[in-house]
Amino acid sequence: MTRVFVSKDMASVALGADGLARAFADAGCEVVRTGSRGLFSIEPLVEVETDGARIAYGPVGPGDVAAVLDGSHPARIGAIEAHPFFASQQRFTFARCGVTDPLNLADYAANGGWKGLEAAFSLSPQEVVDAVKASGLRGRGGAGFPTGIKWQTVLDTDADEKFIVCNADEGDSGTFADRMLMEGDPYCLIEGMAIAGHAVGATHGYIYIRSEYPFAIEAMREAIARSAGKVAPFTLEVRVGAGAYVCGEETALLDSIEGRRGQVRAKPPLPAIEGLWGKPTVINNVLSLAAVPFILAEGAQAYADVGFGRSRGTMPIQIAGNVKNGGLYEVGFGVTLGELVDEIGGGTASGRPVRAVQVGGPLGAYFPPSMFHLPFDYEAFAQAGGLIGHAGITVFDDSVDMAHMARFAMEFCAVESCGKCTPCRIGSTRGVELIDRIVAKAPRESGALEAMPQIRNTKGAARTHDEEIDLLRDLCDTMKYGSLCALGGFTPYPVLSALDHFREDFGGASALPEAAE
Amino acid sequence: MTFTREKDFGTPEAMGEAVSLTIDGQEIAVPAGTSIMRAAAMVETDIPKLCATDSLESFGSCRLCLVEIEGRAGYPASCTTPVAPGMVVHTESERLRKLRRGVMELYISDHPLDCLTCSANGDCELQDQAGAVGLRDVRFGYEGENHLEGCKDESNPYFTFDPAKCIVCSRCVRACDETQGTLALTVDGRGFASKIAASQDESFLSSECVSCGACVQACPTSALIENTVIEKGTPDRSVVTTCAYCGVGCAFRAEMRGEELVRMVPWKDGKANHGHSCVKGRFAWGYAQHRDRVLNPMVRGAVDEPWREVSWEEAIAHVASEYRRIQKDYGTRAIGGITSSRCTNEETFLVQKLVRQGFGNNNVDTCARVCHSPTGYGLKTTFGTSAGTQDFDSVQYADVILVIGANPTDGHPVFASLMKRRLRQGAKLIVVDPRRIDLVRSPHIEASHHLPLRPGTNVAMLTAMAHVIVTEGLVDEAYVRERCDTEAYAEWAEFVSDPAHSPEAIEELTGVPAADVRAAARLYATGGNAAIYYGLGVTEHSQGSSTVMAIANLAMATGNVGKEGTGVNPLRGQNNVQGACDMGSFPHEFSGYRHVSDNAARAQFEQDWGVALDPEPGLRIPNMLDAATDGTFKGIFIQGEDILQSDPNTKHVAAGLAAMECVVVQDLFLNETANYAHVFLPGSTFLEKDGTFTNAERRIQRVRKVMEPRNGYGDWEVVQLVANAMGLGWTYTHPSQIMDEIARLTPTFAGVNYQMLDERGSLQWPVNAAAPGGTPMMHIDHFVRGKGNFVVTDYVPTDERTGPRFPLLLTTGRILSQYNVGAQTRRTANVNWHEEDRLEIHPHDAENRGIRDGNWVSLRSRAGETTLRALITDRVAPGVVYTTFHHPDTQANVITTDFSDWATNCPEYKVTAVQVTPSNGPSDWQQSYRAQAEQSRRIEPAEPAE
Amino acid sequence: MMSNDERLAYMAEQIYRNFAAQGRDMAIASTVDHIVSFWDPRMKAQAFAMLDDPAVRLSDGARAVFEKLRIETGAVG
Repeated sequence: MTRVFVSKDMASVALGADGLARAFADAGCEVVRTGSRGLFSIEPLVEVETDGARIAYGPVGPGDVAAVLDGSHPARIGAIEAHPFFASQQRFTFARCGVTDPLNLADYAANGGWKGLEAAFSLSPQEVVDAVKASGLRGRGGAGFPTGIKWQTVLDTDADEKFIVCNADEGDSGTFADRMLMEGDPYCLIEGMAIAGHAVGATHGYIYIRSEYPFAIEAMREAIARSAGKVAPFTLEVRVGAGAYVCGEETALLDSIEGRRGQVRAKPPLPAIEGLWGKPTVINNVLSLAAVPFILAEGAQAYADVGFGRSRGTMPIQIAGNVKNGGLYEVGFGVTLGELVDEIGGGTASGRPVRAVQVGGPLGAYFPPSMFHLPFDYEAFAQAGGLIGHAGITVFDDSVDMAHMARFAMEFCAVESCGKCTPCRIGSTRGVELIDRIVAKAPRESGALEAMPQIRNTKGAARTHDEEIDLLRDLCDTMKYGSLCALGGFTPYPVLSALDHFREDFGGASALPEAAE
Repeated sequence: MTFTREKDFGTPEAMGEAVSLTIDGQEIAVPAGTSIMRAAAMVETDIPKLCATDSLESFGSCRLCLVEIEGRAGYPASCTTPVAPGMVVHTESERLRKLRRGVMELYISDHPLDCLTCSANGDCELQDQAGAVGLRDVRFGYEGENHLEGCKDESNPYFTFDPAKCIVCSRCVRACDETQGTLALTVDGRGFASKIAASQDESFLSSECVSCGACVQACPTSALIENTVIEKGTPDRSVVTTCAYCGVGCAFRAEMRGEELVRMVPWKDGKANHGHSCVKGRFAWGYAQHRDRVLNPMVRGAVDEPWREVSWEEAIAHVASEYRRIQKDYGTRAIGGITSSRCTNEETFLVQKLVRQGFGNNNVDTCARVCHSPTGYGLKTTFGTSAGTQDFDSVQYADVILVIGANPTDGHPVFASLMKRRLRQGAKLIVVDPRRIDLVRSPHIEASHHLPLRPGTNVAMLTAMAHVIVTEGLVDEAYVRERCDTEAYAEWAEFVSDPAHSPEAIEELTGVPAADVRAAARLYATGGNAAIYYGLGVTEHSQGSSTVMAIANLAMATGNVGKEGTGVNPLRGQNNVQGACDMGSFPHEFSGYRHVSDNAARAQFEQDWGVALDPEPGLRIPNMLDAATDGTFKGIFIQGEDILQSDPNTKHVAAGLAAMECVVVQDLFLNETANYAHVFLPGSTFLEKDGTFTNAERRIQRVRKVMEPRNGYGDWEVVQLVANAMGLGWTYTHPSQIMDEIARLTPTFAGVNYQMLDERGSLQWPVNAAAPGGTPMMHIDHFVRGKGNFVVTDYVPTDERTGPRFPLLLTTGRILSQYNVGAQTRRTANVNWHEEDRLEIHPHDAENRGIRDGNWVSLRSRAGETTLRALITDRVAPGVVYTTFHHPDTQANVITTDFSDWATNCPEYKVTAVQVTPSNGPSDWQQSYRAQAEQSRRIEPAEPAE
Repeated sequence: MMSNDERLAYMAEQIYRNFAAQGRDMAIASTVDHIVSFWDPRMKAQAFAMLDDPAVRLSDGARAVFEKLRIETGAVG
């Protein structure tokens, strides 16, 4: 019987993978459902096992079964690893994704699974923490804080109980790596968490998954049940997020797990010292934890050997938006933005020129093509007024209105603000109002405020367009430096970068702005 | 004392070891864990802030308090950032000023600019901080989205919530959570739509809010503000004084405008309340100005005559001559007096002195007779002192808290908040109570064990717990050996070990599963520091004294006396129950609990007072009434107690009073007892006089006069007038002189004087050469009596029994908003929460009787009958009914019997066999009583001087 | 409701019952001590009057207590 491989990843299913799988089954094939390889332009993808090798075809539909099986279909890719999109990748974290049956324990073990955990068990907790430190792994959720140092704090804090929490509340637009991994290789995350548990002395972990990811929730629950014996005494459970973007902020996420309204906590105390239920807690992103098995299995050096500057190892980059080759691309740090957009991404899907690329989710900065030389690296991006975030990049062509995008950032913040701190709670709403006036070229006239007899300091006359722009910059300054968490703190990135690089979209005098702080 | 706001350090005090840092160039050492904000405040550097206040954990939401720290990126919030060694902090810079102004500009873009007409004008932190950060303009204008049209919530009678003034700092929500522990408030919605909501977005009045005022206290603007401030304006001076409600003894600042009280604000430095309050102390002070207050003395020949207003001279002369006449006609012992647990120590001391020195007998008693007299007897017998062992703060060190026969969230709310804070931190709770009181299950609190025993079976229950502790080897033997009378212990241990006292053996009697009793006993004995708190559900029984001793036995056997977080702690009902007892109000003992037959003690008083004193005990209140009906007791002076309403078996009390020839009542109002009085002397409120109260933790605190007595005299002055009219020649010109006399004559008070009280704020007795600073905790190294005394507490059931005629057991209690007989609280807006007494009855018992919720029912016992409305609830067990006794119309004490504690005659309020039947109107007694009360309250004004 | 005499006898009996676990002699002695400490002279006189009034029926305990009280206080009538 012919074995074929079809992804059951949510994105592949959305593109028709289920129908394809059924058609192959009807044709008498043994269909193995895998995770996604991560390139959506070739989905639905089928790989046919031929002489021990897998020959890929995609995109194909249910009507193409016969042509695929007789090898005549024109969408023949051949060995997927040879495809240019994959050939240049360094798949440390996503090595098994798209290759194995995600829930098949034998498959997992046969493809290098559990090697990291076994290695960890042979080491002392401190040695495991040392290995993670040596690998240079930094938090993949966006902040880029060294994972090993976080673990060290938890290890060093005495407590009767400690926790590992995995942040799988992947809420940034254009990001999907967490979901792909949980659906495509759930044991990898479990293994990473079990290693973390061993390293810091925690016996229980939570995976906080957003409710919009039903496949991932199901996959993780099933994988937890099946692998319970393998990771014992470490235990795990899935918690389903309640839909607020801010619950992806680590302290709000802890509140949410505790059953409370998800609201950002002030730090200190650090979650590593007083986290979930006041106990020392490792809280890491899916990709951080999923990177750990490789580090333990292959050695810290193997991981650290890849990368750029202080950004070591690989980053699963998610290319989305108006782009030809959207998908997941894992590679060592240092690849340039231009390579990602133009070469790997293949330019815009619309065929029009690229005008802007937003890196790091809805609160990341917009970069014009003039900055495509930037290497993918935490420090380089920060220096350029941006951030890598969760490594989602969204491509826009020249039809985009950047003032509108700036407004969207403020609106996003207003909608998702938890309301705790003032700059975010009031500032985001004022930001929307202000950008509306700017876009309408209708600066604020003397109004109700100025009409109050007790108000004598305000300028009586109508405000100018430039004054409104200055006020927007001041507001961004207040939000960036005054907000309690990254939601309010990062909202100024898209706004200021739009102002800085695309000032013409905001109307008024086109004098060059001063450099942003 | 002029009006100054209390300094706010921004975040709570920390306790760590000293850490040195530099703030704005100034080096300072503060305890580790201190926030930068607090450290700065300690060197008088006030960093701008809105969401921080030192009564609440830091929150970090307003973002005004940002600072710069050398070597750290960004601008951390000083409230949430703890100090670190060598840290160099800058609190002011152009950059910080710009950020703070930016934040403030956002605040003000959503805030009404009506400062001049705002009720918080001049007392508003937002206003202050806008000034501090130098805000000059609001460039966003007022055209954007805002909350300025929000509707006020004026449902609460005492305060108003105006959402337009709200800055969503969450201080109210956090105060409700952290300080009060009710968790009634929440932030509803997210982001810009965030708003404060009570319960499920209800009005404050209909929500779970208990109106403690913590939110009002915490609010930095006028979003939550007292209605009296809206009406009268902001205060201009304040006087620190002590609350006159329950035995917690909260310290308050009476904030005044001229002679007018504007508001009562809990005092942060109050050692009993630490700046917290309840609805009574904070808001229910309006009775002092109530139109019902009687301000002129009145006299009448017979109780069916109308009152005649007279001058003070005439009234006092009449009292003196009547008392002398009665003593001439019926003997020296034919008159007596009752001191008040609501009056000051000084006043109480004077009343008992009037009786002992002036009346020449020991016929003095106090309302503690009917509440905590068993505490005095029981703890003196076992430990050697008639008082609780700990201060309130000690509960913060308790690992296990056993609450028996007390309902702290209603009766002692401010202490309950402290206790709940400890419970939320993880201390375990055992509740022994027939009723499912709120503590059993409330937000974030759940009792590990609730033992809902049948009323009247406390002793059996405690002995069963002792049985478990002794037979399972859980006794702290080293402690018992070292600290206690081992012979008495052996006798007791043998007694409790008898299988007849096992939980299994008494299960039938108490109705509580034996396994629960065993588990609770094990937890108490082995759960770490274990503290017992009890109330009138312990004392007001035929076995009240036995129960107190059984509690003391348990504590001694487990080594839970003499260290933090443990002890035996009576929760006193009235503000000065402890003080009234200390001051020699009982007929058998002088101040400091020395028996009248003690020749040395008596000699001391005789020498000081210049008269011979009676070495025989006098009459207790019930015995006075018995003697009155027998015709041998004819005159009484009753200060500030309404025995007709508060004492059991009302009909018997009425008969006793009616048989007397001169009943003198001194009170604020024409109370129920005054219906039987011949002379009425107007009393003064706690706002109108100087003195001291002693709370449940033996804490002596000053009561300070904030206004002139409306009736002309402080109560102590009135007693002095009577004494001098009887020829005693007293010459006190200030209560401090009375305290000096108390100190002179009372060893445990030897070191107490007003100067020291003013300096230290409060003192816990004993205060003497051995303990010059007072005694927060007693029995630390050894018991006051020497060795702790185990007392065999045999369970002798009450003679009050249920049967076919009276199948249900009635027990009584209090509710948060009302206070005792309600004379004060009924004359305030607190009636909004509790308009009438209701009878709680289990659905099963109600169903059997065809009673529906809200129906009028007749409640009958062997003693009497009354009617009230039913409240159907499973808080009470089947077979048990419950009511409060706050309203004279209900007259719950018509029902209660005259069974009482075997040792002290404390009435058995908590167990009465009753029947409940549907009814459609007031009982005969209620009707005739109402008619009689109306008649006896007629007043003829004094003839106008022409 | 009890008469005052009945109540006094009841009080003595109640105190006695609460000491009963100590054994009869000790219980009587403890009850007497208690009464000496807490009862006023009129009540004690009333108790003695009851002892002498053949119409009054006292419980065993109350009678024993009152008799011992009379001896102890020297008020032998």
